[in-house]
Amino acid sequence: MDREEIKVAVLRMEGTNCEDETVKAFRSLGVEAEAVHIKQFYSDMIRFEEQRSVFDYQCLVFPGGFSAGDYIRAGAIFSARVKSVLRKDIEEFIKMGYPILGICNGFQVLVELGALPGFDEDKPLAEKPEMALAMNDSSRFECRPTLLKKESEKCIFVKNLKKDVVMFPVAHAEGKVVFPSGKEDEYLERLTSNDQIVFRYVDEKGDYAGYPWNPNGSFYNIAGICNATHTVFGLMPHPERAFFGYQVGRREGYGDGYCIFRSVVDYLEKL
Amino acid sequence: MYRKVDVPFELYEVEILDASEEELAKISEEMGLALSVDEMKRIQDYFRQKGRNPYDIELQSLAQAWSEHCCYKSSKYYLRQYLLEASKADYVISAIEEDAGVVEFDDEYAYVTAFESHNHPSAIEPYGGAATGIGGILRDVLCMGAQPIALIDPLFFGNLDTPYEKLPRGTKHPLYLLKGVVAGIRDYGNRVGIPTVAGMVFFDNSYLTNCLVNVGCVGIVRKDRIIHSRAGGAGDLFVLAGGKTGRDGIHGVTFASAELDEKSEEEARGAVQLGNPIMKEPLIHACLEVVEKGLLTGMKDLGGGGLSCVIGEMALAAGFGAEVYLDKVPLKEEGMAPWEIWISESQERMMLTVRPEHIDEVLYIFQKWDVPATVVGKVIPEKITRIYYKGYKIYEMDTEFVTSGPEYCRPYVARKPEKELHEEVEPPADYVKTFMKMLSHPNAAFKEWIVRQYDHEVRASTVLKPLQGKMNFETHGDAAVIKPTRSFRGLAITADVNPWMCKVDPYWGAASSFDEMVRNLVAVNAVPHSFNDCLNFGNPEKPERMGEFVEAVKALGWMAKGVGVPCVSGNVSFYNETPYGAVAPTPSLLGVGIVEDVRKAITSEFKGRGAVILVGETHNEFGGSLYSAVMGQRCHKVPRTSPERLKTYSDAMLESFRKFEVKACHDVSMGGLAVCIAEMSFGRGLGFEAARELSFVELFSESNTRWVVEVPESVAEGYAEFFRAKELKAEVIGYSGGERLDFGAFSVELGEADKSWREGLTKFL
Repeated sequence: MDREEIKVAVLRMEGTNCEDETVKAFRSLGVEAEAVHIKQFYSDMIRFEEQRSVFDYQCLVFPGGFSAGDYIRAGAIFSARVKSVLRKDIEEFIKMGYPILGICNGFQVLVELGALPGFDEDKPLAEKPEMALAMNDSSRFECRPTLLKKESEKCIFVKNLKKDVVMFPVAHAEGKVVFPSGKEDEYLERLTSNDQIVFRYVDEKGDYAGYPWNPNGSFYNIAGICNATHTVFGLMPHPERAFFGYQVGRREGYGDGYCIFRSVVDYLEKL
Repeated sequence: MYRKVDVPFELYEVEILDASEEELAKISEEMGLALSVDEMKRIQDYFRQKGRNPYDIELQSLAQAWSEHCCYKSSKYYLRQYLLEASKADYVISAIEEDAGVVEFDDEYAYVTAFESHNHPSAIEPYGGAATGIGGILRDVLCMGAQPIALIDPLFFGNLDTPYEKLPRGTKHPLYLLKGVVAGIRDYGNRVGIPTVAGMVFFDNSYLTNCLVNVGCVGIVRKDRIIHSRAGGAGDLFVLAGGKTGRDGIHGVTFASAELDEKSEEEARGAVQLGNPIMKEPLIHACLEVVEKGLLTGMKDLGGGGLSCVIGEMALAAGFGAEVYLDKVPLKEEGMAPWEIWISESQERMMLTVRPEHIDEVLYIFQKWDVPATVVGKVIPEKITRIYYKGYKIYEMDTEFVTSGPEYCRPYVARKPEKELHEEVEPPADYVKTFMKMLSHPNAAFKEWIVRQYDHEVRASTVLKPLQGKMNFETHGDAAVIKPTRSFRGLAITADVNPWMCKVDPYWGAASSFDEMVRNLVAVNAVPHSFNDCLNFGNPEKPERMGEFVEAVKALGWMAKGVGVPCVSGNVSFYNETPYGAVAPTPSLLGVGIVEDVRKAITSEFKGRGAVILVGETHNEFGGSLYSAVMGQRCHKVPRTSPERLKTYSDAMLESFRKFEVKACHDVSMGGLAVCIAEMSFGRGLGFEAARELSFVELFSESNTRWVVEVPESVAEGYAEFFRAKELKAEVIGYSGGERLDFGAFSVELGEADKSWREGLTKFL
C-alpha cells in the first residue's frame, strides 16, 4: 500500500504518556498516525466522529510510560481493559499480518496480554501470560542509555537496521525479562530457534555484560523479543527517544531508533 | 462563643461581635485560623458594620485568604521595594501577577514557569508531600493553558551521617526524608509523564528539623492560547474539574504559615494532601484540549485554600463576584461540613470559567477523558461572593474584603559587618587528602542515584540531559536543554542556590547564587532569559530572620536588574524554623535561558586532547566554600560579584562560542577550580595536566563569574587573547588527557578520584 494510506494508532488510556513522541516519529515518516483513546473503540458516550475500529489501522502501538499508574503490576490494567473489549479484534489483527509494537510499558502490556512471546501462530494471544517483566535488580526506576545488539533477521521491525549495535535509552522499574522457573532453557531454545530474540543488552565493546549495561538484570540480556510470526514486537528501551539526531547528541540526521519505525513502514508499504 | 445554626447540616455562627481580645485569640486558636488578634479585630469591625455574626465558613475563608502562604503579608512590602523593578523586560508577557510567569519564547510560542516550596508537608510525610508538590506546580503551569515540559526540584536535608540518637524529638532522619522525597517526585513525575531534568541536593544540619522541598515546572503555550486566571464576564459558569474533594489538606496553608514543632506530626497529618497522578495525567490532556478548542474564558488551579481562594480571586480579577452552590461539589466522603468543603486542599482539581454556550462541549471532553467536571457556580456582576448549600445562604462577603489581606512592614536587623571577624584561611597540610574529601562530600559528589530515578527523557525532547559524557561514565551537566517546539530553538534550565554562602552572608550568598545560575545557563550556550525565586527562610516575626530575607531579596533585585534577567514568578516560604533553629537562608533560583539552536548546546565533559582555559578572576574568597567546610576553617568573606562584571563576562563567553570551536564548558562553583576540572575529567575518563603550578587559592577558592573551557590546542592562544582584548581574564591553565589529575601543586590518579566522587553520596544509602 502507499505510504500515505498507512494509518497507525498509538493507544492511550488514563495515565499513558509517551504517545505524543511516538505519533511524531511515525508522522515524520509521512504516514498518518494518531493517539487513540481505548474508549474510542468501544464506549457509547464517544461521539460518532471520534469512534474508531482497530481495523481502521494497519499498525497498533502500545506506547511507553505508565498506564493507570501501574500500581498493581506494570501493564496489568491496560491489558485487562484491552482483553475485555478488544481481544477478538486484536487476534484477528495479528492473524491478518498487521504489526503491533509495544515499547516499555507497551512491552509489559503485550506480555500481560499473552501476545509475547506468542509461540502459537494460531492463537496469537495466549490464555495467560507466559513470561514477565519483573522488578529491576537494582530495585528502583532507572533512566539510562543502553546499547543493544540486533539478534533477529526475521523480525519485521529491524529489517531496515543495518547496524549491529544501537543505542536506545531505557526508563523503567520493571523491565527484567523472566521466564517460568525451570523452563528458561526450553523458552530460550524456542525463541532462538525461531529467531524471536530481537535485541540483547551489550557493553561498549559489543559483549554481553552485566549491570549497568544490562540495566535490569534481564535473563540472557534480553531487551526485546517478537512473536512467532515476527510481526508483534516488544522492547523495554525507547526507540522514539533516539529517533532524531538531536535526541542523542548528533547535530544532523536521525538516531538509531529511526530504523525501527522505518522498517515497519517499509513492511506495510509491501503489504 | 459558637452557636449551631438551625439547618440540616453542620453550620455554626461564631459570636465575635462582642468578643474581647482574649476571646478573639481563643476563637482563632480553637478554629485553627492562625490569625492574629489585630487581624481578628479587623474581621470583627467588618461584621459589626454588617450587623451580624459570621458563620464558621466565613471565618475559615478569611483565615485562608489572609495566611502568609496566600497573601504574602510579611514579604510583599520588601518584594515590591527590591524585586518588582527587576521583573520587567520587553519580552515578559506576565510576571508576578498570576500563578506562573509567562515569557516570550519566539514569535509563536511563550514559555511558562512556576516555582514553589512544599516544605512543611514534606517534613511530615516526605513521599506524599513531595508528590503533591509536583502535582501543584504542574497545575500552576497548566492553568495558563500551557503544556508542562520539564520539572525541576532542588532539595535540602540535614546531614546523612546524623546519628539517630542525636535526632531531636519528632524529627525524621535525613536519610528517610531523602529517600521518601526522591521516591515521591519519582513516582509522581514519572507517572504523569513530565521529565524531571534539573535540580540540586544539598545537605546541611540547619535542614535537620526542616527539610526543604522546592519544585519548579516549565511549560510551553501558543501565545494565542494563553489563559488567564480570571473569569470572562458575568454569567460565566464555574466548572470544577478533576479529583473529588475530601478532608485531606484542610488547613494546609495555615499549617505552612507557622513553625513546626514535635507535635506537628499528629496535628498536621490532615494538612498533607494526597496526590493522584492518574487523575492528573488525563486532567492535563482534557484541560489542554478545551484550551486548544478555545472553550474557556479563564482557568486557575486549586492550591492553597482550595475553593475559598480560587473562586473569589478569579471573579474579582475580572471585576466581578460569584455565586456558588457548594452542595454540587463532588465529595470523597460523607458528612463534610460546608466550611471543610470550601477550604479543602484536595489535589488534582482545576477551576474553569466557561460561557454557557460552551458548557456542553466542555463537559463532553472531560467525560471522554473520564475526568469528573461539574458546574458549581456562576459569575455575578456585583463584587460579592455568596454561597448556597442545600438551599440555605451560608456565606456572603465582599470579595474585596476577603482578598485584601493584611500587609506588614516587619522590622529587621542586618548582620554585623564581616570585617570585625577573623578570617582563617590556611593552605591544606595534605592536598590529596583534602581534595578527596571535597570530591566525596555529599554536596559535591555524583548525584546519579537520584537523577537516574527520574525519567528525564519522557516527551523525547531533552537534548542536553542532566548527566553528560560517555555512557556509564557520565558527569554532571550545567543545565538541561529542552527542545519544546518544532523549531531548533531551545530552553536551558538550571536550579541553583548556595546555602552555605547565604548562611555566612545572605546578601553576597544570594548574589553568588544568582551568579551561579547565570553561569550555568551560559555554560551550555544559552542566553540567560528569566528566573523564578523560591525564598525559603525562618520565622519572619524574628527580626534577624527578616534581616536575612531582606538582604537576600535586595541582592537578587540588584543582580537581576543589572544583568537584565527578569524575575517572572516566585514564592516565599517563611516559618522554616523549629525550636532547634531556622534553615540557612535559601533563596533557590530557577533559571531559564534561550538556546538559539539546540544542536549547538555545549556539554561539560572533556572531549580530549584539548587546551583547558580558565575564564574569569580568582580571589581569596572562601566564605561558605566547600574547602572551608572540609578544613573546618572559619571564613567570612563570601565571594563577591557584580552585575556589570557578570554581564560583561557572560556576553564575552557567548560571543566566544560563536567565534571558536569549543569542545566543553563547565562553570566553576562548589569546590572551586579543582573540583570543576575533576568533574569535566570524569565524564569520559580523560585526565588533566596543569601547564603551571596552581596555588591552593586558585584551586579551591569559589570566586564567582568563572568558567573552564576546553578548546582545540590550535586555537587556545587565540581564545585566551579574545578575552584579554576585551580586558577580561583568561588563561591556558593546562591540557586534557591522560590518566591523572595533575594540578602541579599535587596530583592524583583519575580512577581513584573518580571512585571517591561517585561513591560520595551512595556510601550513605
